[in-house]
Amino acid sequence: MLRRSLILAAFADTTITLLDGGSAMAIPAFARQYDLQCNACHTRPPRLNRFGEQFHMMGFQIPSAARPEGLVGSLKDDGPAKVLIDSLALRMQGGLFEYTESRRKATFAPPDEITLFVARPLLPELSIFVEIEGEPNAVVFEDGRYFPKGQVGLGKEAFFMLNLGRLLGAFGAPTMEMGGQTMVGTHGGFSLHGPMLMAGKVDPNTNFSYPTNRQLIAPTELEVLHGKVERFPVAPYAFASKFFGLFKNRDEREPQLVTDQVMYNVPGAPGVDFHAMINDVLLAQAGFLRENEGFNTYGAVRFDLLDRRELTASVSALVNWGFGVVRAPDPADRDQPGDKRLDRLRYGIACNVRWKELDVYGAVIWDQLFGLPGELRREFNRTAAGLTLELDYLVHEKVLLSSRFDQLWAGGLREERLDGSVLSLQAKVYPWQNIAFFARDSVNLQSFVEESPLRNWRNQFLVGVDWDF
Amino acid sequence: MRIPPWSMTAVVMSALALALWGTTPPPTRANGEKDEEKGGHAHVPAPPEFADAYVPLGVWTDPTMIARGKDIYLTRCAVCHGDQGDGKGPAGVALPLKPPDFRDKDGVAEMRDNYWFWRVSEGGQVEPFKSRGSAMPPWKGQLSVEERWAVIAYQHAYSGHNGPHVPWEHPEMVQVGRDIFAMSCVPCHGVGGEGDGSVGPMLSPRRAPRPRDFTAGVFKFRSTPSGDLPTTSDLYRTVTEGISGPGGPLTFGMRRHRIMPSFRHMPEGQRLEVIEFVKSLNRDFWQRGEISTVKIPDAPPMTPERVSRGRQVYANAKCFECHGDRGRGDGPSAPTLKTDDKLPIAATDLTQAARFKNGMRPQDVYRTLMTGLDGTPMPSYADSLDPEQAWDLVYYVLSLSRDRGRTAEAGTR
Repeated sequence: MLRRSLILAAFADTTITLLDGGSAMAIPAFARQYDLQCNACHTRPPRLNRFGEQFHMMGFQIPSAARPEGLVGSLKDDGPAKVLIDSLALRMQGGLFEYTESRRKATFAPPDEITLFVARPLLPELSIFVEIEGEPNAVVFEDGRYFPKGQVGLGKEAFFMLNLGRLLGAFGAPTMEMGGQTMVGTHGGFSLHGPMLMAGKVDPNTNFSYPTNRQLIAPTELEVLHGKVERFPVAPYAFASKFFGLFKNRDEREPQLVTDQVMYNVPGAPGVDFHAMINDVLLAQAGFLRENEGFNTYGAVRFDLLDRRELTASVSALVNWGFGVVRAPDPADRDQPGDKRLDRLRYGIACNVRWKELDVYGAVIWDQLFGLPGELRREFNRTAAGLTLELDYLVHEKVLLSSRFDQLWAGGLREERLDGSVLSLQAKVYPWQNIAFFARDSVNLQSFVEESPLRNWRNQFLVGVDWDF
Repeated sequence: MRIPPWSMTAVVMSALALALWGTTPPPTRANGEKDEEKGGHAHVPAPPEFADAYVPLGVWTDPTMIARGKDIYLTRCAVCHGDQGDGKGPAGVALPLKPPDFRDKDGVAEMRDNYWFWRVSEGGQVEPFKSRGSAMPPWKGQLSVEERWAVIAYQHAYSGHNGPHVPWEHPEMVQVGRDIFAMSCVPCHGVGGEGDGSVGPMLSPRRAPRPRDFTAGVFKFRSTPSGDLPTTSDLYRTVTEGISGPGGPLTFGMRRHRIMPSFRHMPEGQRLEVIEFVKSLNRDFWQRGEISTVKIPDAPPMTPERVSRGRQVYANAKCFECHGDRGRGDGPSAPTLKTDDKLPIAATDLTQAARFKNGMRPQDVYRTLMTGLDGTPMPSYADSLDPEQAWDLVYYVLSLSRDRGRTAEAGTR
């Protein structure tokens, strides 16, 4: 079976590469805009290095070197055709999955995601970033059941980013002109990169020490069978919903799955995010996001505590209060959403250490629910936690090894709740900087439980392609 | 259609921010500019032709030079700058741009010595001082270089500082550059400019190239002879054009394949500021004497004969040993090449001119040949090739490239 899978995977990757040759030419937007190699900003795509973080933080502009006329300058210099091409990028992910001790042995699903990016600075202090995502194998929930249904629409992020330095300057704050970008502060004194405003469908996690949308081991897909969930994705559990038995909403009665990513790396949440780097060491972030029927308010800080001799380290902390973001089950019928919307307190820490070719990042996040109906209190664990720890090692310019450990201490209905532990190992080969072929194995470290979508597998072996930006 | 309330809030806030974005903040003194009515001046960077004109370290504390400077000052400068160096000389009072107060420690500490030398040499005849109404005469025709050093040393004495007037005594001199460096350069070059930022090892693990260590004094891209420090113009060229390299994405539309970004959109003054900070990391920039540079003659036209002769020069100079017979970087010595710090390094693939690190214009390749790339196995051929032979070789090298049609525009972007 394994051999057949590998042969199929190799065939699939080759087919994708050859058939989609046109798409292959329509990749890295920022690379073309700045004539920069991918590795200037990425450890290896999609993970950002420190320069890439600065580039992102300053609104997708080379720090201190924004084009003075923005889009107009680009149009004058390059013409509309090149500007259009330079603004677009494509990402495609797909592969072949093999399971052990499961009803489904092999799934061929190329591609899982095709994402078109429209991204570029419009003005020295204003940029846009839009993902248009196509998911041929997306799973949707309608009429009380899950089923695969191809979808196209706005992806995880679609926002504009605005540097508010000029605005604060207009209100009397001291400002510094740094290559077309106005920053609050004085040379040699207090400085504030930005503050930057992101508005639209935003994902605030890029600035966290563990940026889940930049991790090298991607979440697997949710799998359904006969309208029900067959298997939860393997995703960073620290950032997951963590509770069994909850619902996203009442009208559609859609369950909030225990591995659904919440707040970070979610599939699109309208909101507003402010962030600013203070004195080059402390990044502060605050904002609010919609989530289900409620909304989140959040704050986070990242302290870059070390940067010398090829060693950098940062620690982050976040706190998040979700107002009515999930719905408790009906005490009389646990399979249906009840009347009560629950508040959620989320808090946690993350850290990241990079030393030479090694990159280690981890997070531990606690979640606590408030407003639970009295009838459920004895049968519902309202606290949960998750730990995710990833280690990447660049063995060679073109080979990156990664491993990730995910631990879920789940909450929710006691009759359903199960903890989860998964270890994933991955090798990624980058023949070019923007194309990776990968082989990955995830191991369920807990006991096998046939009826649990969290643990009804022993092993997941995946091979595939990740055609980034 | 029901519009979600939080989406509406986001839209309204965004619109508000956009509307206010056009507002211009009030001018600030954040770039080191002092209030003019108090005798302050914009301490703009000295232009490249003066950027390397540092005052020798010994001058600042040499009593003989200071005494010589005093004589000059009292006869030529005091009428405006005042007998006490306070900018209140009888002729200075009515000037639209007030002479500076040399007793202002903070103001003097921000003035770099090359700026000072430039101001004394050119006076108020250059921008931005000319348009501000500066009446300062240019002294370069009347005072020798040493006399200008002497008068600067005397003026400096008014500030009460007893040591040399250099960035490691007055960090505020390079504060603007340091802030830009922190924002743009630290991820690769490290906080102290030692090339030890966290990005370097990820670019090419255990191999060259690595980000430059500015403290070590070994620079690849120069117009100066092998072993010398670069000029400010050399550093300016690198900052402006960035550095290309091997590798990159499989894509189209890229003119260069830069591994170091181009900072061409950074205002010229700020590029010079960051270069002043970079130079402040290595005191040798203040201790070198006269700077010699490799002269690059005007490029002759490319002809088949020249390319043919260049092929012979390529063979005679044994370029093939590293770069291979067809210039693909696959010569017999290529696998053994190492940098001075013992990291393996690839021989440049000459068939891809867009990836030449030191630029792909004919004059760039000429400069590379005549200066070598310090710290790498690429030697200087200044002693073994005459200019004609060098141009022959330049055009042969460029003839190997698949990108030769783009060489004319390269480096200008």
